[in-house]
Amino acid sequence: MRAWWSGTRLVWERGLVENVRSKTFKIVMVLLLLASAAAVILPQLLAGGVTTYTLATVGRAPASLVAALDAAQVKGDFTVEYLARGGVEEVRAAVQAGDATVGLADEILYVAAGDAGTFPVVVAQAVVRLEVADRLTRAGLTPRQVADLQSVQPPKQVTVAPVADEKRAAVGFAVGISLYMALLFGGSAIATAVAQEKASRISEVLLVVLRPSQILAGTVLAVGTVTLAEILVLATPVLVAIGVRDDLGLPAVAAGDIALGLAWFVIGFGLYAFLYAACGALVNKVTEVSSAVMPIVMIMLAAYMVSITVTTHDPTSPWSLVIAVFPLTSPIGMPFLWASGEASPLLLLFSMMLAILSAAGVISLASTVYRRGLLITGRRVGVREVIARHRD
Amino acid sequence: MLDVSHAFGDRVALDHVSFGVVPGVMTGLLGPNGAGKTTLIRILLGVLQPQQGAVQLRAMPVTDAARRTWGYMPQERGLYPAMKVGEQTVFFARLHGLSRRVAEQKSRQLLDELDLADRWDDRTDKLSGGLQQRLQLATSLVHDPEVIVLDEPFAGLDPVAVADLSESLRQRTAAGSTVLFSSHQLDLVQDLCEDIAMIEHGRLVLLGKVSTLRASSGRRQLRLHLDRPDRAWLQAFPEVHVVSDQADELRLGIAPGTDPLDVLDAARAASRVTDFGLDLPTLSQLFLDAAHARPDRELVS
Repeated sequence: MRAWWSGTRLVWERGLVENVRSKTFKIVMVLLLLASAAAVILPQLLAGGVTTYTLATVGRAPASLVAALDAAQVKGDFTVEYLARGGVEEVRAAVQAGDATVGLADEILYVAAGDAGTFPVVVAQAVVRLEVADRLTRAGLTPRQVADLQSVQPPKQVTVAPVADEKRAAVGFAVGISLYMALLFGGSAIATAVAQEKASRISEVLLVVLRPSQILAGTVLAVGTVTLAEILVLATPVLVAIGVRDDLGLPAVAAGDIALGLAWFVIGFGLYAFLYAACGALVNKVTEVSSAVMPIVMIMLAAYMVSITVTTHDPTSPWSLVIAVFPLTSPIGMPFLWASGEASPLLLLFSMMLAILSAAGVISLASTVYRRGLLITGRRVGVREVIARHRD
Repeated sequence: MLDVSHAFGDRVALDHVSFGVVPGVMTGLLGPNGAGKTTLIRILLGVLQPQQGAVQLRAMPVTDAARRTWGYMPQERGLYPAMKVGEQTVFFARLHGLSRRVAEQKSRQLLDELDLADRWDDRTDKLSGGLQQRLQLATSLVHDPEVIVLDEPFAGLDPVAVADLSESLRQRTAAGSTVLFSSHQLDLVQDLCEDIAMIEHGRLVLLGKVSTLRASSGRRQLRLHLDRPDRAWLQAFPEVHVVSDQADELRLGIAPGTDPLDVLDAARAASRVTDFGLDLPTLSQLFLDAAHARPDRELVS
């Protein structure tokens, strides 16, 4: 085992160094860093900063109301401007014309349709609060007793994975796309590396010294490490930002979804990478790689398409469930379903276990195809031919 | 190799092939395209398992561990194009079990010996074809292998590179290494190798020392330079055939039992002989004879 690992590590190290030195790796890393920074910064820019509401009143707003709203705006993310009007109709007209968000006149609250947000509720609460304080004072309570009564706070509100949370769905969407792209590009990189080694007969030299499993595992580990590093570069800034700030516009559960996406990457890579390597061993020229890997690409593409067209809109659809559980599609389908909130932890675990067990079977089959495919040169080989080739 | 046979489906690649390679004696492996050389080399190196027969080293079945110490140079360049020259040799040395420190030390020595020391930091794909071939040789020799197997090592090399590579192999052989290489360049094999093995359609058809095979072929040739075109005197020697008759040079095949001096005397009687010589058949001629021979006319010595 030690000797096996020693040779595998050399293949891994060599592949890793070559990948990291390449121009492609450097360019991709810079692009991913920019994408990650954009994921942190853009939601804040698009949020547009602090919201300003306008309150129209007959004459100047009462000082007590202004004080109450000032206190509320300290806690919230808004500021209040005041608009004095001559009468009830002018107040109503100001709201109707869009000059004010809310108008208060004659114990009536005029509210602008559409974009008033929570401001009407805040104003209404302030008015009620002032009226209650006034009545309590008249009832003989001291100001301190009144203040004590009004210090009662409502229960703290905590969001717990809402099923139809649009922001979370967007995070799931981003994780799913990133995973799909990573598996697609990582797999193609492995198939190309294997095809290059076969075409240049390096694999033949390596086979004299190493077992096929060592070359295969070393190559997969090298590309897998590079791809995982790229994903971490993409995900880490977002994860850190979510951890240290709560005003990013990303839901707290996004951190869990992203971490789960990383776990699915490892499982998915274990599943697909060896299939890609086997396909790379079947070709005679590097230019044939893209057509050789087409069956795997089609399966991944089908999983991706169903995920973005069905799962994101109707996560309860049977198709969403099938894509999320079937081993060859679950690494792409399940992150989408999980982010929609429709997958139970048990289903997630079941899907993961099924994918892991399938990966073990796929690795065994792919290793056989890889070992036999490498030795047939001069033409492209079919999978059936390689599997049937017992006597080599 | 002992009685090695291998088939791919119905196609027989090797059919009961047996031959030995002696340490310190450079041995050439010959055969036309599709003869089974690559299959033979793959079985020798353990990349393929023979369906019958065995590969032995010092009368014992050769183990995978022993094979991993061998040096192998494939026909096409088995090099990583983007790797630097020094890293390439160090990588292959470490694959054969050398520590990083020893691998670097051996790499520097060998690259110096092959005039590649100043290219240590150059990318492999920046080297010329000849230099890449030298680097390929370095990767197969860097761990001082006891057994060296080379598949068409001289293919595509210019005469200077051929001379350099030949000298390297001679030195390794003289130092006691077991060297086997395949080649189509028969004149080169004739110059370099003491022993040859030739396979055709998966069967061994020629085996032995080059000098012995040439001398024992019974295909001596008398080369004559005559100043007259008259060839009527040849009718007195029906067992002698004309190999070539070009310009002033006449080349005659002398059958076993015919004294070449009798032929020379007859030629002198008919014309003035300005030059003459008795040549043994070239390896190319033996190769062609063996390649065109039917199985019942094998030339195995």
